[in-house]
Amino acid sequence: MVLYPFAYDIYISFTDMNVYHIKKFGLVGAKNYAYIFTNAQFLVILRNTVVWTFTNVLPTVAIGLALALVLNTKVRGKNIYRLFLIVPWAMPSFITLLVWRAMYDYQYGVLNRLLEQFSIAPINWLGNCTWAFVAIVVANIWLGFPFMMIIFSGALQSIPTELYEAASIDGAVGFRQMRYITIPLIRPTIILGLLLGSIWTFNNFNSAYLITAGGPGICTTIFITQAYNLAFSGLFDFSLAAAYAFIAFIFLFFPGLLWTRYMGVTKQVA
Amino acid sequence: MNNKSRNKEVVGKALRAVPKHLFLIVMSLISIYPVLWVVSMAFTPGESLAVGWHFVLDFIPAPNAPTIQHFISVVHLQVIGGTFADWFRNSVIITSVTVVASVAITLPAGYAFSRRVFPGREVTMFSFLLPTMFPGVVTIIPQFLIFASLGIVNSYLGCIIPYTVGSLSLSIFIMKGAFDSVPKDLDEAAKIDGASEFRAFWQILAPLTLPNIATVALWAFMGSWLDWALAHVMLQSNNLWTLPLALYSLIQPTYTYYGTFAAMSLIMAVPVFVVFMIFQKYLVTGLTSGSVKG
Repeated sequence: MVLYPFAYDIYISFTDMNVYHIKKFGLVGAKNYAYIFTNAQFLVILRNTVVWTFTNVLPTVAIGLALALVLNTKVRGKNIYRLFLIVPWAMPSFITLLVWRAMYDYQYGVLNRLLEQFSIAPINWLGNCTWAFVAIVVANIWLGFPFMMIIFSGALQSIPTELYEAASIDGAVGFRQMRYITIPLIRPTIILGLLLGSIWTFNNFNSAYLITAGGPGICTTIFITQAYNLAFSGLFDFSLAAAYAFIAFIFLFFPGLLWTRYMGVTKQVA
Repeated sequence: MNNKSRNKEVVGKALRAVPKHLFLIVMSLISIYPVLWVVSMAFTPGESLAVGWHFVLDFIPAPNAPTIQHFISVVHLQVIGGTFADWFRNSVIITSVTVVASVAITLPAGYAFSRRVFPGREVTMFSFLLPTMFPGVVTIIPQFLIFASLGIVNSYLGCIIPYTVGSLSLSIFIMKGAFDSVPKDLDEAAKIDGASEFRAFWQILAPLTLPNIATVALWAFMGSWLDWALAHVMLQSNNLWTLPLALYSLIQPTYTYYGTFAAMSLIMAVPVFVVFMIFQKYLVTGLTSGSVKG
């Protein structure tokens, strides 16, 4: 049940299946792949996917870490802040993404209205190539940072306070405690955050599709939305879409493998 | 320490806390801003948002004359051949079957992966991990084609099966982790007392994993209650739609029914939000148990 769709995906990526011959299709070898790799669109989509992943993961991890560090110190109203900060994660992303899309609306969206308040000219968020990309990245960072904040908070709380006390006695304070205790001890979690973040962002269909549907043009199209568009919006070219999906799969296989090794999740209990 | 220097220290501490609070306040505002806006939209009369609302304090949107009209129109919503009652029923049926099925599968599977050694164990576990790395959309295409040839596209089953399978990958590992953390001594004690393996599993071990079962149920619930991409492909008749499809239909290329959209968003999101807040602690442990343990 789990593996069959993957195998089937790879198989149809080597055929000429589309809506015109959905039953009678034949093997065509690597034709789909040849088409993809020689098409100029491929490079744009590849670049989009890479930029999309990095511009999302790094800020998400950085903001999450910064918040976790601040919340780990003595601050008043910590619990209330935490409650507010977790909202983007707790609200269903399918809905909040559509809300972001509405927020970006040129005429009626709240963002342009807000800019107007400060006498700044409205921005055509979703109609302009660069702004559309900025728009989906911002929305996705908004979605992603609470999760990072939570896992970093967990990691910070597991550091024994004795370590800091000992360091204070030895005269190491502030930045040096951070450099020699905090960072080394939460490094595994940082790596985990970066890995999981990359895997999720790379294949984050909802964020990349619900706001812009990949447009304008292919400005915000990444592998996963390209596969979906090829298969289900008008073209119904299933074999080409399957090839795109498989390429995305290959890109993620190694980070994914790394993650499972890293977590040791398949190990048996001792 | 004299009074003067103590005062200085107190003031210094308060001053040092200012940037922290500033950072936290700004981030909190960014966090809840979209929610503030949906709430404001949901109570603003009219569908277009061109008029009817204003900014409080220059940035918080608020309706001029709050109305619950949009919540009423959600319930009376119709799109050729489908009504709100239909979509609500579809969502409830698909979601509940998915939740029950995924708990029923992952509970014994988690136990087996944790306690039993059998040939192909590692390979099977790895195959369950694959979909975690490659979320739903990659498999939508083959699933659609397979289900088309089985004739279950445009039926509840066409959604229930992928949702259940999709939730398994993560859930099996949550349950395996749960059973891993139950000491093996308990199994042995039960065995000595004459309990069969099944009885030990069912009466002693399974109840101990209840919080994790709740997590599994919650993942399955969120995955199916909120999915749009797969449902969009599988459910073509308007009367078979689930709520997310109906919500998406309110956003047209040329016109968006903002008011009704916002009201429906709130109706769909609030239950999820409440359940999520209750279970958030468990949600993270399932994913990070390997690394955060410390």
